[in-house]
Amino acid sequence: MNSKDPHQLTRVPSGIKGLDDILQGGFFGGGLYIIEGPPGVGKTILGNQICFNQAAAGSNVLYVTLIAETVGRMLLNIKSLTFFNEGEIGDGIVYVSGFNALKEKGLNGLLHLLRKEVASRKATTLIVDGFASASDHAQSHEELKLFVQQLQTQADAADCTVFLLTNPSEHAPSSEETMVDGIINLKTTIHEWRSARELCVRKFRGSSYLQGVHSYDISENGFTVYPRLETLVSPNTDVNGELQRVSSGNSRLDEMLGGGFPARSATMLIGPSGTGKTTIGLQFLSLSTANEPGLLLGFYETPTRIHLKAKAICPSMIEQLDAGHVQILWQAPTDQFLDELADRMLRDIKRRKVKRLLIDGLGGFKKALRARPIEPFFSALVHELRSQGVTTICTAEVMEIVGPTITVPLQGLSDVTDNHIVLRFVESGANLYRIISVLKVRDSAFDSDLRQLSFSVRGIELAESSASAKSILPRLSPKSEPTVTQE
Amino acid sequence: MEKSLKACAAKKTILIVDDEFGILEVLESILSDAGFKVISAINGQDALTRLRETMPDLVIVDFMMPLLDGAGVIKAMRADEKFSAVPVIVASALPEKAISERCVGYQAFVRKPFKTERLMAEITRLLDRTSSSSALS
Repeated sequence: MNSKDPHQLTRVPSGIKGLDDILQGGFFGGGLYIIEGPPGVGKTILGNQICFNQAAAGSNVLYVTLIAETVGRMLLNIKSLTFFNEGEIGDGIVYVSGFNALKEKGLNGLLHLLRKEVASRKATTLIVDGFASASDHAQSHEELKLFVQQLQTQADAADCTVFLLTNPSEHAPSSEETMVDGIINLKTTIHEWRSARELCVRKFRGSSYLQGVHSYDISENGFTVYPRLETLVSPNTDVNGELQRVSSGNSRLDEMLGGGFPARSATMLIGPSGTGKTTIGLQFLSLSTANEPGLLLGFYETPTRIHLKAKAICPSMIEQLDAGHVQILWQAPTDQFLDELADRMLRDIKRRKVKRLLIDGLGGFKKALRARPIEPFFSALVHELRSQGVTTICTAEVMEIVGPTITVPLQGLSDVTDNHIVLRFVESGANLYRIISVLKVRDSAFDSDLRQLSFSVRGIELAESSASAKSILPRLSPKSEPTVTQE
Repeated sequence: MEKSLKACAAKKTILIVDDEFGILEVLESILSDAGFKVISAINGQDALTRLRETMPDLVIVDFMMPLLDGAGVIKAMRADEKFSAVPVIVASALPEKAISERCVGYQAFVRKPFKTERLMAEITRLLDRTSSSSALS
């Protein structure tokens, strides 16, 4: 005897990475869903990917097209995608055209065809591609409503999950939108000459879901959806017990920090180009081990350049790279979108149990932001990194090359990050010096005195005391602490 | 199952009563596809009118309807000797325990949204039972 209660909602995962996370487990069996979007957003690919995933899981799938494009032409277009499996066609997945039934006999004819085909093939997934054609055939809103109600009843009766692929209605909400169990909207937006694909669940009956706009990508693997990071926050970030310290790789910087970076903290390393931000980050990563792996997320310096730099100023980092204890995730700053980027990084962090992270630099994230505010994203990222036990250094470049005032390039992040270290150039006489100071270490005492910083073959060297810094800063304010303002 | 359903459906008439027109039409189509002769009524009062015109072998009645609900239809049927032995399936979105006290005299219950397989199983069971009783008598 089957113990499954047919009146309990059961999840039918789409099998599409990210989409099931957004839906908190997938669609509901027997539900009726609209997948809407203008031409070119990938509705047919999404519909087919759901089909092949369902067929691979052993379900019978029926794909009905109401569009003029022939099935053969459609299959030709999706043939190169990795989810496509010709062996499933005709067996697990059957493609039929409903165009003629609709044209000859209207909505009733289409309903009849769908019922017959679903019943005879025992289909548990039905895709109706080009549903806008059905809407166009309706003589009135009432006729369309009745059709949707009957389709829903049929779907329920046959335990068949139905997806209607259609263009967004000109009249919002359309009659069908008010009746279906869920609506997924797909669209393409243009940001600074580049297009971005966006998915938004507009309605989903039966459970909560991750609201708002999420990005998606169509590649040779089909659809991949990237839930907005802010919606994916892990619980359990509180750390009980004594504050653990993580060495920066430089004993004097550790002293300034009160014993090293607080474990699981996020540090902003702020300064103009050339002050040594990346070098400090490399020294931090050079202490990575098999049990405490490191990751460098870089936007500007390629892995080759990082290698060369490490060879020149942080040789111990090379050993960690060669041993695989540190890996480099390089990403050109204009190629990807924020959540896709965060997803790549977090997947690697979880897979390798990364404990030391260098994000070099924050501007790379800014480029991927478009119109989105950085604070919620970065706050969620820091939260997630903390929950994964990662101690993070993030470099942030500032425009001011010399002088006492530094403008933090991204607004609202000072509260999000735990520790702030500022690097700057100071001109004295005909010389240019580097100065480092710690502005903030969360929940901890620290040394706020300025120190002179220099480079050697062992990496960065910090002066033992603030004496040398004082000697090169005679004409600045008594403490000469930099003033940090936000952009 | 399909074979016994076909055999069972031959020359059998089912009255379906539901105030939701969409459901009524879909149910009518599903039962017609299975080989039954189907008559339909949009509420309880309409059902009583249909019963005066025809003698169904089985009735599927929705519980909650305007004018006269499912319980009222069954009560009227059981009070009339002509229909007292006609098997009735009650359909409702409510669980059976929520209607069983208010609804007396039905032989089977299907929960809405109904599942074709479960509905057909109940129809076959009840019609087979009626056929057996008739054969014995």
